[in-house]
Amino acid sequence: MRSSLMIAMAALGFASHPAYAGPTEDLARTCNACHGVNGVSVGPSMPSIGGLPEAYLKNLMLQWKSDERYSATMGRHFKGYTEAELSALATYFAKMPWVPVVQKADDKTLAQGKAASDRCETCHGATGGTPDDAETPKLNGQWADYMHLEMMKYRTEAAKMPHKKMRGNAKKLEEADVEAVAKYYAAQPK
Amino acid sequence: MSFNRREFLKTLTTSTVIVPLTACAAPSGGKSGGSSGKARIVVVGGGFGGATAAKYLKMMDAGLDVTLVERNKTFVSCPLSNEVISGHGKYEDLQAGYDGLMKRGVNVMFDDAVAVDAAGKSVKLKSGKTLKYDFLVLSPGIDFNYGGVAGYTEALANTTHPHAYKAGPQTLALKKQLEGMQDGQTFVISVPPGPFRCPPGPYERASQVASYFKHHGKGKCKVLIADANDSFSKKGLFEQAWKMHYPGMIEWVAGAAGGKVVKFDAKTNTASSDFNDFKGDVVNIIPPHHAGKIAMDTGLANDKGWCTVDMLTMESTKHKDIYVVGDSTVHGELPVYGAPKSAHMANTQAKVAVGAIIAKINGVAAPEPFFVNTCYSIAEKDWGFSVVHIYRAKDGKLIYDTKAGGISPVTMADESLLKLQRKLESEYCIGWFKNIMADAFA
Ligand SMILES: Cc1cc2nc3c(=O)[nH]c(=O)nc-3n(C[C@H](O)[C@H](O)[C@H](O)COP(=O)(O)OP(=O)(O)OC[C@H]3O[C@@H](n4cnc5c(N)ncnc54)[C@H](O)[C@@H]3O)c2cc1C
Ligand code: HEC
Ligand code: HEC
Repeated sequence: MRSSLMIAMAALGFASHPAYAGPTEDLARTCNACHGVNGVSVGPSMPSIGGLPEAYLKNLMLQWKSDERYSATMGRHFKGYTEAELSALATYFAKMPWVPVVQKADDKTLAQGKAASDRCETCHGATGGTPDDAETPKLNGQWADYMHLEMMKYRTEAAKMPHKKMRGNAKKLEEADVEAVAKYYAAQPK
Repeated sequence: MSFNRREFLKTLTTSTVIVPLTACAAPSGGKSGGSSGKARIVVVGGGFGGATAAKYLKMMDAGLDVTLVERNKTFVSCPLSNEVISGHGKYEDLQAGYDGLMKRGVNVMFDDAVAVDAAGKSVKLKSGKTLKYDFLVLSPGIDFNYGGVAGYTEALANTTHPHAYKAGPQTLALKKQLEGMQDGQTFVISVPPGPFRCPPGPYERASQVASYFKHHGKGKCKVLIADANDSFSKKGLFEQAWKMHYPGMIEWVAGAAGGKVVKFDAKTNTASSDFNDFKGDVVNIIPPHHAGKIAMDTGLANDKGWCTVDMLTMESTKHKDIYVVGDSTVHGELPVYGAPKSAHMANTQAKVAVGAIIAKINGVAAPEPFFVNTCYSIAEKDWGFSVVHIYRAKDGKLIYDTKAGGISPVTMADESLLKLQRKLESEYCIGWFKNIMADAFA
């Protein structure tokens, strides 16, 4: 019985904790400084990570450790963790509820973003909340600023981003639509 | 909750013995255990280390009796205060109150801790009250050794010559002085011998001051850094940024080149080393630091003025059941600094201390500690970079992991990627700040 109040409380970090998960929880506590308690970020340029699909989280974290994927900061962290620790952390955060932080945007931007999201729908779902497979992240209520920056990575040829299809789709977007589509997904509660 | 706590304890130890729960187990004879027999923990200093410790103590065991003693009702963050001086950030965004901690059940007392009786396990407050504790966490930050620069005084710092190295009114005073400068004038920053808080701080400040000049038609102004040290944090990254964004505007004088300021004459606005006089229109003296006064007075510091701790638990090596976190400590094996004195380090140390205290209350071994630090700096709009440190325990020692961490790349294969990298980290810096403020205070 998870009421919306409880979800709001989870966002603030008031939710009761899942049972102590051993050393993984000790490691996970250090992530809070950048990603928020329970993986719900309060800083628009930093992603929420609690409740993202396990396979997606594992992909990113292991790709960062092995230098197969570009990052500005995160890769330098993950070289200090073992693969087993990273897998356990992915499992730990995937078990948390996804708490969308619904952000407002003006109608014109939302309409522009929705139109531009046509080509994204097959994989991310109409509102970003129903990804079609376990390696695709949720976008609904993710921070718009973060997604905008993430799209810049996919659109920069020299940045190593291994997912070819996502990169292809990102590049096909008109420059003017990038921000609008990020704001569109950020505004979706579901 | 009790189920969670039991789970926590079970996994803390490899033994299968189920130990009693925290809140019911009054340690050390129980006399000081409070009316309900709860373990009593006093935290002194509600900055990045202390606020995080108080919050996580309550979060990990709601049954603990946690009191936070802090002298100011509103905390003002040093991180991002250089950006406020330059006008790129807002002062209000640096502030946090203590309502969040109160809501979590922390007993917040706005008072000044004036003495610790380590043998009797109590803290005396300025108001006259005495707090008994089973465990004490000290995170008082730093205090200044004004004697390190003859002629520079606390009175000057609070009036005409702010150091602005504790954020607050002095941050705004320095900002005002900067805004009053005319094109062609010189801003002098004097950097004390290490260790000091925020190793990249003075150089980020120099960058922000130059950014202010550049964007306000004062491009002929100069920033002169008179440094007691011969190198500095993220030097390659800063020098690249200065060359690119502020060519000819920032000059750095190393200690070996006579940069170590030992006296200051406020009348002529001249800071002097044994070899050089640095005359400025604004002179920003950052005095040498030592551990927070209360930690010094308690006898927790070594002869260099920093508190030595068990690297794996943050417990003082001088007094049992006192844990010291944050800037006051010397911790880790990096030369000069140990672990850097940063908000992020204080936050991560506080979490380790909390884990160790809860384990100790319950008579089990402390969990394996893990320390992570990231210091972002913003040198110019869309131009940020960072240094990352990961520390782990190995064979009972704290080891800096050289395979991880390190600074942002100075050069990259492609110009567009370098620009993206700097842009991303300038944005992530702000996101980090919002989250770490919430992690400590919300
Ligand atoms: C200009 C500048 C920029 C910086 N930028 C960054 C950055 O970008 N990233 C980063 O990670 N770090 C940065 N830092 C460093 C960071 O501010 C410190 O490392 C951090 O504040 C240390 O936390 P602390 O808990 O040890 O001390 P503080 O945060 O200073 O907290 C100490 C608290 O204790 C209180 N106190 C002290 N003594 C007593 C007493 N006797 N009784 C009651 N209360 C007491 C004080 O009022 C204060 O609130 C910067 C510092 C400066 C100066
Ligand atoms: C210093 C701040 C910091 C800390 C601490 C930190 N991260 Fe990150 N994290 C970032 C940044 C910045 C990004 C964006 C990627 C990049 O570096 O370019 C990110 C991205 C991520 C992402 C990708 C999310 C997405 O949907 O794209 C995951 C997953 C992640 N971090 C997991 C973690 C975990 C798990 C921890 C703790 C073990 C952690 N992070 C600790 C800063 C941090
Ligand atoms: C073919 C399926 C597919 C299509 C179409 C697609 N995506 Fe993606 N998207 C993915 C996958 C898979 C990932 C994770 C990729 C990775 O690991 O790098 C992803 C990642 C993302 C991310 C990063 C989120 C995060 O948390 O870091 C954003 C933002 C995003 N997509 C937006 C879009 C937008 C906008 C479109 C339409 C223009 C789009 N996607 C089209 C599959 C797709």
